[in-house]
Amino acid sequence: MKVQRNQSKLKLRPMALLLVIAVVLILPQVIKSTYFMLVLCLCGIYTIATAGLDINFGYAGQISLGHAAFYAIGAYGSAILSKLAGINPWITMLLASAFAAVVGFLFALPISKLKFMFLSLVTTGFGEIVYQIIVNFWPDITGSTSGFKGIPKLGIAGFVFKDRHDYAYIVIFCTILFLLAKYCIVNSRIGRAFIAIRESAEAAGAMGINVTYYKAMSFSISAFYTAFAGALYGHMVGFISPETFKRPQSIMLLTMALLGGRGTMLGPVIGSLILVVLTESVQMFGQYQQLIYGFFIIIVVLFMPGGLAGVLASAKAAAQNLRIGGNADAVGDQ
Amino acid sequence: MFINLLTGAIVIGGIYGLIGLGYSLIYRASGLMSFAQGDLLMIGAFIGLTLFKTMGLPYAVSVAISFLLMFLLGIALEKFAIRPILNKGGKAINVVLITIGISIVLQNIAVVTFSADVQMFPSIFKSAGLNVGGFIVSPESILSICVALVCMVLLHLFMAKTRLGTAMRAAAQDETAASAYGVNVSLVKGLTWGIATALAGIAGLLIGPVYGVYSSMGTSIGLKGFAAAVIGGYGDMYGAILGGFALGMIETFAGGYISSQAKEFVVFLVLILFLVVKPSGFFNAKIIED
Repeated sequence: MKVQRNQSKLKLRPMALLLVIAVVLILPQVIKSTYFMLVLCLCGIYTIATAGLDINFGYAGQISLGHAAFYAIGAYGSAILSKLAGINPWITMLLASAFAAVVGFLFALPISKLKFMFLSLVTTGFGEIVYQIIVNFWPDITGSTSGFKGIPKLGIAGFVFKDRHDYAYIVIFCTILFLLAKYCIVNSRIGRAFIAIRESAEAAGAMGINVTYYKAMSFSISAFYTAFAGALYGHMVGFISPETFKRPQSIMLLTMALLGGRGTMLGPVIGSLILVVLTESVQMFGQYQQLIYGFFIIIVVLFMPGGLAGVLASAKAAAQNLRIGGNADAVGDQ
Repeated sequence: MFINLLTGAIVIGGIYGLIGLGYSLIYRASGLMSFAQGDLLMIGAFIGLTLFKTMGLPYAVSVAISFLLMFLLGIALEKFAIRPILNKGGKAINVVLITIGISIVLQNIAVVTFSADVQMFPSIFKSAGLNVGGFIVSPESILSICVALVCMVLLHLFMAKTRLGTAMRAAAQDETAASAYGVNVSLVKGLTWGIATALAGIAGLLIGPVYGVYSSMGTSIGLKGFAAAVIGGYGDMYGAILGGFALGMIETFAGGYISSQAKEFVVFLVLILFLVVKPSGFFNAKIIED
C-alpha cells in the first residue's frame, strides 16, 4: 500500500483567521449590491453543505453521491414544519437537521459493511428515492413538482431578516459556527477514528474502533450539516422545488469537495466559493455548467487529488523549502 | 396488455443486461467500478443515429461502425483516464470519481452537440411488426431482444472458448499469475474496457430505435444497469444478464400494474434492498467486505 503523499495542511494563523472573519462580517454593511449578498449567502450555505459531505467523504472516506437527499430533507423538513405546523423557523431548521441526522445514521448502519464503490451506488439510489418521495408521496404537503412556496422567514424578537443583507449575517454566523464545529470534530477522538477508518477499516477495527458505529456517526453528522444548509437555503429563497435536489446537486456538492480539497478545513470553503461564483457567472449557459463540473472532476482527479487546498499547501511548503534552502524532499514521502 | 408489458420488459431487460454485463466485466477484470456505462450507451446511440440518419448508411453498417468506434473509445478511456490514476498509485475511489466526471462530460457534450430533444430513429424495417396474441410487437423490439441475446451468447463463447477470452479471465482472476503465464495484462485490460464500452454502444443502438435517442437516456439506464449487476451478483457475467431481465420485469410490471411513477421508486428500492440485505446478489459474488 503506497504511503499517501503528505500534504502539509494549510493552517491559517489565528490572527489571519480573525482578520478574514472581521472582513466577512463587515461586507454586508459595506457592499450594497443585493446580488453580491446572494452570492455570499450561497457560498456560506454551500460551504456548510460541503463541509458536511467532506466530513463523511474526506475524513471518513465514505463516498456519498446522494447528499442532495439530505439537503432536501433539511429544506423541505424545515419549510413544511415552519409553514404548515407554525413552528418557529429556528427550531424547525434544527429539527429538520436532526431528522436528517437520524435518517443518515439509520441508513448508514446496514450499509457500513459495503465496499466504497457499492456505497456510491447505494447513496445514488438513496438520492433518487428521496427525490421520488418528494415528488410522488404526499403531493399535497410537499407541493410535488410545483414546489413549495411561502417558506417563512427567520426572525429574532420581532426583527425579521427580510432581505439578503440581513440574511447574510445569519449565514455568516452559521458558517463560522459549523466550520468551528468541524474543526473540533476532526481534531477529536471521533475525527481520528474517521481518519483511521478511511485509511483502513480493517486496521481500525483491529485497533478497537467500532467501525460500524463510527461510519454511521460520520453519515449522521454529515447529514446534519447538509440538511441545515438546505434549511438555510429554503428560508432564504422562500420557494423550493424538487428540481434543486436531483442528482446534479449531489454532483455539485461532490465537485466542491473535490475541487477545494477533500479532508481539509479550507477545502469546502474554496470549493464552494469557486463553484458558486462560476455558476453565477455562467448563468446563461446552463448546460455548460454541468460540463464544467465534469471537467473539473476529471482534472482534479487526474492532476490534483488534493484539490486546490492541497495545491496551496504544496506551494506553501515548497516556498518554505526554498527559504530554508534545504532539500526539496521535505514534503515528499519519507 | 400483458403481452405488451412482457415484450417491453424483455426488451428493456436485455438492455439492462448488456449494461450490467459491462459493469461486471470491468469489475471482474480490474476490480474497478465505472459510472460511465450509461452515458456511453447514449453516445453509442447518437453515433449510430448520425451514421444511419444523417449519413444514410444501412443500419447493419451503422451498427458495425459504431461498435468499432465505441470499442476504440473504451480502449482510449482505459489508457488515458483510468491507467494514469492507477499508475500514480491512486485509490480506486478516484477511478469511480473520474468515470463520474466522464459521464457528466459525455452527457453534456451530447446536449451541446445534439440539443436536448428526443430524436427518433427512422424506421429500420419495412414491416409493421409481429402479431403476437393480438398485439403488435414492433420489429425494433424484436431486433433488440435478438441482438442482446446474441451478444450475450457471443460474449460467453468468447470468454469461455477462445484463447483471448481465457486470457482475460485469467488476468481478471490474478494479474501476476496471468502475466507469469505470458498474458499481456495491459492489452487485456484495455480489451475489457473496449468490450464493455462497445456493449454499451450496442445497447444504445438497440434501445434507440425503440424509445428514441436523447442526451439523458443514459443516466437512468446506467443506474438501473447497476441494479441489474447487483441483483445478479456484481462481477458475475451471467448474473448480470439474469439480473437485467429480472429488473426489466420488475420495472415494467410495476409500471403497468401500479403506476408509472412507482416504476422508478420500485427500481431504486430494489437496488437498495439488495445492497442492504443481499449485496452478493443471486450468484453470491463477494463484494461485501471492506
